[in-house]
Amino acid sequence: MSVIAPKFRLGYFLKSLTDNIFWIVILLTLAGIPAIMIVLFYIDLPVLDGVILTPFLAFTMIFHPELAIPLVKSLLYTDFFRIAAFPGFGFAALIAAGTIFIERKLLAKLQLRVGPFYCGKVEGILQLMGDGLKLISKEIIIPAKADKPIFWAAPILFVATAAAFVSLIPVAPGWVVADIDVGLLAVFAVIGFFPIITVLSAWSANSKFPFIGGIRALHQMVSFEIPLILSLLGVVILTGTLNLSEIVESQSNYWFIAFLPIGAIVFFISMLAELERIPFDLPEAESEIVAGWLTEFSGMMYGLVQLGSYLKLYAFAALFVVLFLGGWQGPMVWPPFPEEIITKGIEAGPITVQVPGLPVTTQEMLNGTLWFTLKTVAVIFFILIPRGVFPRIRIDMLLSIGWNKLIALAFVNIFIALGLLYAGVIGPGGIL
Amino acid sequence: MGDSENSEQEIQTKPVVEKQPDLPKFEKEQSDKITAKFGSKTEIAFVKPNRIRVNVKKEDILDVASFIRDELNYDHAESVTGVDFPEAKEIEVVYHLGSYTDPHLDKQVLSLATRTAREDDPNPGKDSTRLPSLRDIFYSVEFHERECFEMLGVFFDGHPDNRRLLLPEDWADLPPLRKDFAIKGR
Amino acid sequence: MTTQLPPGIQLEKVDERIMTLNVGPQHPGSGHMRLIIRVDGDRIVSCDPDPGYVHRGEEKMAEYRNYITNIPHLERPVIHDSCNILYPYCLGVEELLGLEVSERAKYVRVIASELNRFTYTLYWLAIYGIFLGHSTMFMWPAGDREFAIDLLEKLTGARVTHAYFVPGGVRNDLPANFEDVCLRQVNYLEKRLKTYGDIFYDNPILISRTEKTGVLSRQDAIRLGTTGTVLRASGVDYDLRVKEPYDVYDELDVHTNVLKHGDSYDRSKTPWLDMLESCNIIRQALEKIPKSGSVRVKLKPNPKGGNDEVYKRVESGRGSLGAYIVSRGKPEPYRVKLSVGSFRNLICMPYLLKGEKLGNMPAVYWSLNYWPVEADR
Repeated sequence: MSVIAPKFRLGYFLKSLTDNIFWIVILLTLAGIPAIMIVLFYIDLPVLDGVILTPFLAFTMIFHPELAIPLVKSLLYTDFFRIAAFPGFGFAALIAAGTIFIERKLLAKLQLRVGPFYCGKVEGILQLMGDGLKLISKEIIIPAKADKPIFWAAPILFVATAAAFVSLIPVAPGWVVADIDVGLLAVFAVIGFFPIITVLSAWSANSKFPFIGGIRALHQMVSFEIPLILSLLGVVILTGTLNLSEIVESQSNYWFIAFLPIGAIVFFISMLAELERIPFDLPEAESEIVAGWLTEFSGMMYGLVQLGSYLKLYAFAALFVVLFLGGWQGPMVWPPFPEEIITKGIEAGPITVQVPGLPVTTQEMLNGTLWFTLKTVAVIFFILIPRGVFPRIRIDMLLSIGWNKLIALAFVNIFIALGLLYAGVIGPGGIL
Repeated sequence: MGDSENSEQEIQTKPVVEKQPDLPKFEKEQSDKITAKFGSKTEIAFVKPNRIRVNVKKEDILDVASFIRDELNYDHAESVTGVDFPEAKEIEVVYHLGSYTDPHLDKQVLSLATRTAREDDPNPGKDSTRLPSLRDIFYSVEFHERECFEMLGVFFDGHPDNRRLLLPEDWADLPPLRKDFAIKGR
Repeated sequence: MTTQLPPGIQLEKVDERIMTLNVGPQHPGSGHMRLIIRVDGDRIVSCDPDPGYVHRGEEKMAEYRNYITNIPHLERPVIHDSCNILYPYCLGVEELLGLEVSERAKYVRVIASELNRFTYTLYWLAIYGIFLGHSTMFMWPAGDREFAIDLLEKLTGARVTHAYFVPGGVRNDLPANFEDVCLRQVNYLEKRLKTYGDIFYDNPILISRTEKTGVLSRQDAIRLGTTGTVLRASGVDYDLRVKEPYDVYDELDVHTNVLKHGDSYDRSKTPWLDMLESCNIIRQALEKIPKSGSVRVKLKPNPKGGNDEVYKRVESGRGSLGAYIVSRGKPEPYRVKLSVGSFRNLICMPYLLKGEKLGNMPAVYWSLNYWPVEADR
């Protein structure tokens, strides 16, 4: 992308076109067709109404409206859709991108400036796309004495762990990528992996400033994991289960934040520290140690790390919503699907089209998603605001907060939860 | 030269031998104390409103500076300036002393000046242009004397750290503030 | 190593426990100067400041220019406080040449000098916010500074590097309607400054980061010869505008802000209090300014001073700034020395940073009101 374009000659242009066509044809035939044959041999094609769904059949169905809906519906309930689109990576990445943009705009308005403005017609909407393109086009520079395998693997591991975290969060009833019975323990396990990745990437960069940043990140993340876990024990005591979906189900009458406000506050502060958000952004303290453990990353590696950070932010906010704010529970505001369309079909003038299989998704699912998204956005809002208000905290103050004050508050929270349980107020067998 | 605009001006003319214009009283008292103690070793260059200048030889400067600090209550040095006089083959170092603690001395700045012989071919680190350092008497001159060392080539005896401060480490030319160092193109 | 090192080059021994950090010129936390910090874990063992990154030889070049062409030259050390750095030079040259400055010019000088104090101190406050990691503390002062710069642009024609003071007065008179606009903007600036007190100086994290760090006791402040806000934050009541009034400061009512503790919090608060004081000074000056009069004295071309020397000092944003001018009867001065507040406060850096935690380094270092370009001249 940095080559100065030579003068245009038609002969060269036609030559390049035919070159490209030649190579594409060669690759498709020599490599693509055998790959398709092998893949088709091994995967299981879905069965639809007693008929095996081959690719030919899929193509015909797309152009037939009454046959397309069941196809779409069957695709919606596959594992791949859940992992890639909703509620997995695609949904999280969309919210993460929105978060980045809203953060920049919000901070700008708070600081009496405008924020992204020129990219995209309306107030800089396409700024993220521009940034992504810029990061892709930059050269990735690896320090000479860096530990190359670990250095290359670190951002990928980071995104992978963040994605693993995202996969455990239930968004709507029945919509979770990995429905594990010990979901909350799995969350803790995944969170415990982040400090290791940070230290690995800092150590492998082989430079002084990432080293200091990595050590600080290690101190910070490890010392705030304990209050994080302790503050959630109150919720577990009240529900008696570690499954995240069941925790949301048990909040159908009331939200846990009403009974465990201290736990919610401790969790919120620990969350800010785990996410390395201001006021706890020591590992990336710009004015002291250049960029902390991110110093040596450039180009798309930096982009991946940022993506991982914001995925983590979404996942933590979603976890807060699931545990304390009632997940997807909320009054039913989504209008029910009109009955006539199911029985009689869509009428447009003289044409009536019978489309069996509607509605594609249930009303509960849409309502739950709506409430979940609203609550998550509200929590993300509260995470973003301290960035404009506070300076950065110092490492010894951070450690004293994490080890002394927050653990004490978390224990107070546990006692409150135990008191509520044994008084028979809430919990299994309680009056509420 | 120059009339003073200061209001503490009206005094009786002291019976001095030469007919000089009226000197400000407070400053005259200060300079008289110095001459009373040291006599001919010091020379009062001028006594102006709020400014006194004392010229000392380099052998006596430590005593005079201690006296100024202890008796006259000057407690810090504001700046240390080196001036190069190539015709007289001397380098002059002027210390401007001020006081924060004594309210009478709020406006006063005493210039303590000393001269030393100047060598034509300075060799940093082994100069023969030497002056005693006033750092033990006035701690605040530490960085100023370092700057004087590198800019004029004056080695300060007793200064713990005669090292370059502002110039780059690989400066291999004459000390810049000397008059024989000419800026290229001028 | 038996080879002879060239003078000025030092050999550094690599220790097992102590790590040497070059908080160098290319660093978001250092301004344009280099600090060689040796840390043992989190404690700073020693700090060796290495200024000189932007040393240009101002004083040497001043000997090649005559008294008038020295004006745009000598204002370069601090470009946004340029009126204050030219002030002692102009006062000194006026005494050497025997010039008389009119009343109106003196008032205009006071107004310009106080406005320059705004631009400098707001910029310093903005950078202090960055060093502490507070981005709003950067954006708000930098945005409000535009008001002061606007006023200076109306007055002098340039946003920074005004070259406004000449020996004998100022370069041009106040433009029409300047007093009203100035009063309005100064009132607005004062309102904004008061909100800074709520959001920045009452911020618990900022307080906990700067309180009790880098404590400079009163005796030490006097002994080290510090000046300006660093001195006043350590409990010494010394402000040149009150102690040795120059121009019309003896007719204005200036209140000195003295704080007792001498830690970084006080040192960061004193310039803000000084700025609030500047608002009062500007308002008084705008009231008392004589309504008409010339502001400039006609000079002969190439004025020569006699065989004389003069030392004048002025209170600038960083402390007392002195100009020592030696003249030998030529149109060019024989020697010009600027004794700047930043260079005098430089000695506090190794003194205060020894034994501090590494995390306190930005808070202490920038609270010393240090402007690297001025210290290097």
